[in-house]
This record gives sequence, C-alpha cells and structure tokens, in this order.
Amino acid sequence: MKRNALVFVALFVAVLAMLASGKYLDRSRKHGPLKLVGNVQGLPAPDFQLSSLDGTRIKLSDYRGKAVLLNFWATWCPPCKVEMPWFADLQKQYAKDGLVVLGVAMDDSEPAKIAQFASEMGVNYPVLLGTDQVSDDYGDVQYLPTTFYIGRDGTIVDKMTGLLDRKEIEEAVRKTLSTTHRPTSSPQQSQAAAEVKSSSKDAAQ
Amino acid sequence: MRKNPALALILLLMAAIALAQSPGDKVPSVVMAPIGNVQVRAGASATVNLDFRIGSEFHISSHTPKSELLIPTVLKLNAPDQVTVADVKYPAGQDVTFPFSPDEKLSVYSGDFSIDTVLKAPANAAAGTYPVTGTLRFQACDHSACYPPKSIPVQFQVTVVKK
Repeated sequence: MKRNALVFVALFVAVLAMLASGKYLDRSRKHGPLKLVGNVQGLPAPDFQLSSLDGTRIKLSDYRGKAVLLNFWATWCPPCKVEMPWFADLQKQYAKDGLVVLGVAMDDSEPAKIAQFASEMGVNYPVLLGTDQVSDDYGDVQYLPTTFYIGRDGTIVDKMTGLLDRKEIEEAVRKTLSTTHRPTSSPQQSQAAAEVKSSSKDAAQ
Repeated sequence: MRKNPALALILLLMAAIALAQSPGDKVPSVVMAPIGNVQVRAGASATVNLDFRIGSEFHISSHTPKSELLIPTVLKLNAPDQVTVADVKYPAGQDVTFPFSPDEKLSVYSGDFSIDTVLKAPANAAAGTYPVTGTLRFQACDHSACYPPKSIPVQFQVTVVKK
C-alpha cells in the first residue's frame, strides 16, 4: 500500500514535470494563439545561396556581422500576410543597427506573381525563391510562417513558428541585434599574428 | 476518480502530452470515408457522395476561395473506359473570419464535407466492376499558420450492370 502511494507520487511528479515542459515549449500560449517552439538556439544557421525575385543570387553568409531575420512564407498563407508589413517596418527601423530581413517564398507560383504579392504587402526587403533543399536544411519547414533569427555570428538566436504578435517579433529582433560578431581569422592570419606577437616579445627583451 | 488513480494519471498524462505538443508537430489530416461498391446501369448515371473529414483544429480552402492566390480544394478522378465522370459538385464553403485576418472572410471547409460526383456509363458499356482512382488536393491551415498543399488518394469501385 505504501509502495503504491510512492509510485503514485512519483508518477504525479513526472506528469507535473511534463506539464511544465509543455508550458515552456509552448510559451506563446500565454499570449493567445501564438506560438514559439523548437530549440535550435545556438546552432549555426545553415548557409544557402538562393535567387531573389530580381535574379540576384543571395548568400546567407554574406550577411555575417548583421542580424538576420529569415522569414519563410507563401502567398497561400494568410497568417504570413499579417507579419510582412511588420517586417518591412522593422527593416526600416533597425536597418541602421544592422538588421537584414530576408523573405523566403515557399511557393510554386510564378516569380512575377510572388513579386506582385510582395509589393502589395509593402515588402522592402529581398524576397528569395525557396527550394526543397533550404527547407530541409532548416528542419523541413512545413508550418508557415516560420522565422529564424540569426545572430551576427551566424548562429540561430531564435525560431518562431506560426503568427506571433508584433511585440514578440520586435523583442526577438532586438535580442538578435544585441549579438556580437568576432571575425575568425584564417590560419595564415593567426600565424602572422603569432609571429608579430613573438617578435614584439623579442624586441621587449 | 478517487477510486481510480490510474485513470486520473492517464488523463493527466494525455493533458501533458497535448500541452507539450508544438504547432510544428501537428499534421493536418483529411480522410475519406470508405464507400461501398457503386452501381451504375449502362446508359444511365449514378451520384456518388464522397465524404471527407478534416482533422479538428484545421480548415482547408474551399473549391472557390476568395483569392486567386489561395489554393482551392480540387478532386481529380480517373475513370475507367466504361464510365465517365459527368459532374463533380463541390459544397459551398463557409465564409469565416479568422484572428489572423479579422477584416477578411475566407471561404473554407472544416469538419465534414461531401463532394458529389456523377458517374455515367454509356449504353454499350461492358458489365463489370472497375476501379475509380484519383486525388483530393487541398491546402490546410490552423488558427495561426498554414501547411503546404497536399494530395490524398481517392479510390472506390464502380460496377456497371446491364439494363
């Protein structure tokens, strides 16, 4: 009987722990129907090279040192339409601080249609044509909108899925802007630096 | 409940699992209800009701969404030589406003819906049982996000009988 009670308490504690972790994962429930999920924070953002609507090839790693908001969307996704004008505003507001917004259209539509749609949404940032490869690289992006916040050092600061409120998006942007980037030196540069250090030491002696 | 702590635990566990589930983990489902053998007389037609059920929490664009950018629900059937698909009648969508677009009504299906198809067998159709195959293409969303278009198989048997 005493053993049964102990098992019951242990199971109850386990259930409470699961409830707590569920709440943690789904923290946006506090704010209504909006979601923030996944734990890819701190992982390096997979690099890609995609065509933009004007045909320019855009490479993610070219933005190292900038804070990147990478938004996956589609023209058939009504919730995505809500966020796009917000992203355009944020791009305007924070460009001077180093924010770069990149939209990735996961559409089969003609680029001209995507461009028209983006223009109607007031998009002032590059829209890239998504591929299955980039979707796979970013964890099989199936749920739109999905937005990755990529720090200046190229690591993922946050991932948000589903429509969130503007305040939460802006908070994530600020958090991403606060990241730092220390350019890594090449082996040759490191060697040269070591040699300079060594010769300065010799000179001092 | 007091007499059955195991049941209480199971219910708590189910609640925990439901709460722990993240939006990306959900998969929208549309399933077709099984239908019995359809019979059509040579030289006549028969209406077949194809019933579908959309998973709770999800909706799909109707056959006539209010924007050309939205992806309509479309049934495509490949009929055998002995039968033709004379008509496909889609239900009207429900005009619904969602939290993500409070100023815009979308035409959607949710819950159960039925597509009526009219099959016709020519007078000279050979008697027999034939498979009808096809797909239902749809694009689903929930209250805060959308999933890529998807197709599910549609399949049933049609028996042509002589007059």
